[in-house]
Amino acid sequence: MEAMLEIADVVTAYGKIEALKGVSLSAAKGRITCLLGPNGAGKTTLMMSIAGALKPRQGSIRLEGSELVGLSPARIVGNGVALVPENRLVFPQMSVRENLLAGAYQRNDSGEVTADIERMYARFPRLKERREQLAGTLSGGEQQMLAVARALMSRPRLLLMDEPSLGLAPIVVKEIFGIIAELNREGVTIFLVEQNAHLALQVAHHFYLMEQGRVTFSGNPGELAEDEVIKRAYLGTRRSAG
Amino acid sequence: MIPFIQTTLDGLMVGSSYGLLALGFALIFGVMRRLNLSYGPSIMIGAYLGTLLYIKFGPPTYVVAIVAVAGSVMAGIYVERLCFAPLGVGAGVASMVSSFAIWMQLEQASLLMLPRHSYPFPSLTGGELWSLGPFVVRPDYLIMLAAMLAMSAALTLLLYRTRFGLGLRAIVENSLAASLSGIDVERTMLKAFALASAIGGVAGFLVLSANQQVTAMLGMWATLKGLIAMMIGGLGSIPGAIVGGLALGVIEAHSQNLFGPQVRDLAAYAVLFVLLVLRPGGILGTTAVRRGMGQRGGDRWTTT
Repeated sequence: MEAMLEIADVVTAYGKIEALKGVSLSAAKGRITCLLGPNGAGKTTLMMSIAGALKPRQGSIRLEGSELVGLSPARIVGNGVALVPENRLVFPQMSVRENLLAGAYQRNDSGEVTADIERMYARFPRLKERREQLAGTLSGGEQQMLAVARALMSRPRLLLMDEPSLGLAPIVVKEIFGIIAELNREGVTIFLVEQNAHLALQVAHHFYLMEQGRVTFSGNPGELAEDEVIKRAYLGTRRSAG
Repeated sequence: MIPFIQTTLDGLMVGSSYGLLALGFALIFGVMRRLNLSYGPSIMIGAYLGTLLYIKFGPPTYVVAIVAVAGSVMAGIYVERLCFAPLGVGAGVASMVSSFAIWMQLEQASLLMLPRHSYPFPSLTGGELWSLGPFVVRPDYLIMLAAMLAMSAALTLLLYRTRFGLGLRAIVENSLAASLSGIDVERTMLKAFALASAIGGVAGFLVLSANQQVTAMLGMWATLKGLIAMMIGGLGSIPGAIVGGLALGVIEAHSQNLFGPQVRDLAAYAVLFVLLVLRPGGILGTTAVRRGMGQRGGDRWTTT
């Protein structure tokens, strides 16, 4: 399986505290790869390191062979990586339409950008209804849709998503995961951070587990479901969501 | 009644120079939530370069204007690289303090160029006066008024109708999300800084050509007047800069007329004090360039 993203021995630190202590993993092209792990494991730090918002102290992050470490976040977007950040971070005082335009900031094909905005409206009809509304007035689910649409506006090869289900109602979460599967069917490679293992099992092709800054498990959904430790910690007896 | 209206007119005319200065301030404060105390001294560098050229070679006035604006932009970029870019987001106090240090540096550099207290500066209109019925106006101040209105309109269009403006507003709202959307935060901020300095340079040139002289007080004067006008009008707001500038001019003109020149500045500070107590966000508290860098402290400055 050809790798879209290859991460090797990445160390990222906040001052003296190493949040990532040599992380290596890869995300296969055209697939959904999911990163599980408890709070504080370093999942968001890894996402921010890939997107260039944090600078790894060592290691390499390659996108189809080309090195991303050392590039600015804007350059990384230009290289085809878009991050849907934790807590969405839409621009609250800008309209839905302006948020989408901001996502296409580096593109120079204005005709195609307009067409892409229409495609986003077709995919997310709620955004179309609210296109002139300020993003800060949207519901949490709508803001998540907007954050996804904004990221897609850069036409990424690799879509990074940091806990897209965070703080959303189960029915909205279901909708978001439907969209994730749909995007993947259309050919977008997705690397996803998720706490809800049940949900992730329905869409992802490969799993990693991160604990305290290290990768402690790697396997396909079958292996994940059979791993005793993960079963206890992440799948448990809970049979709710999803 | 006629003297009262004349005084008000005088105030509005002088106030348009304050409004122009405040526009540049508002752009920097609105975008970066940073106070650039070196704003006035950057203008001074440009003005002094223009004056030096004028005294030595007597070039056409438009050449002096270009040099003044270009010099101000260069000094502004210097300040941004030194005080603002390296300190990053969230270092508001540190960058303000370092911009104060650069103030001294720029002022001394200007005084090394031209050590006397004052020098002549070319006029655009020859300082003539126009009579409008019973009133007297100065055309060079009308030019300033027109420049202020034109620039604020252009700035509004730039912010709301261009890609650069979209990027700038995105940075104001959330610089992390802006960079993750592919907006080059550092470059956009530098451009905004250069633009603000250019506006300052135009303001400086117009003021000096109306005065027909340049003095060593220019740097301090420009920073103080621009800052006060911006604070009166509304921090980081474009219409606020204009309203604040004009209001400051009118307050000064009337207090000078009523109580004499010693009271003029005192009255301006008194009004600022009262306003900051009663309405800390300024007259137009809602800002055109909204919110802080991310969540940090933005709302404190922009009460509605």
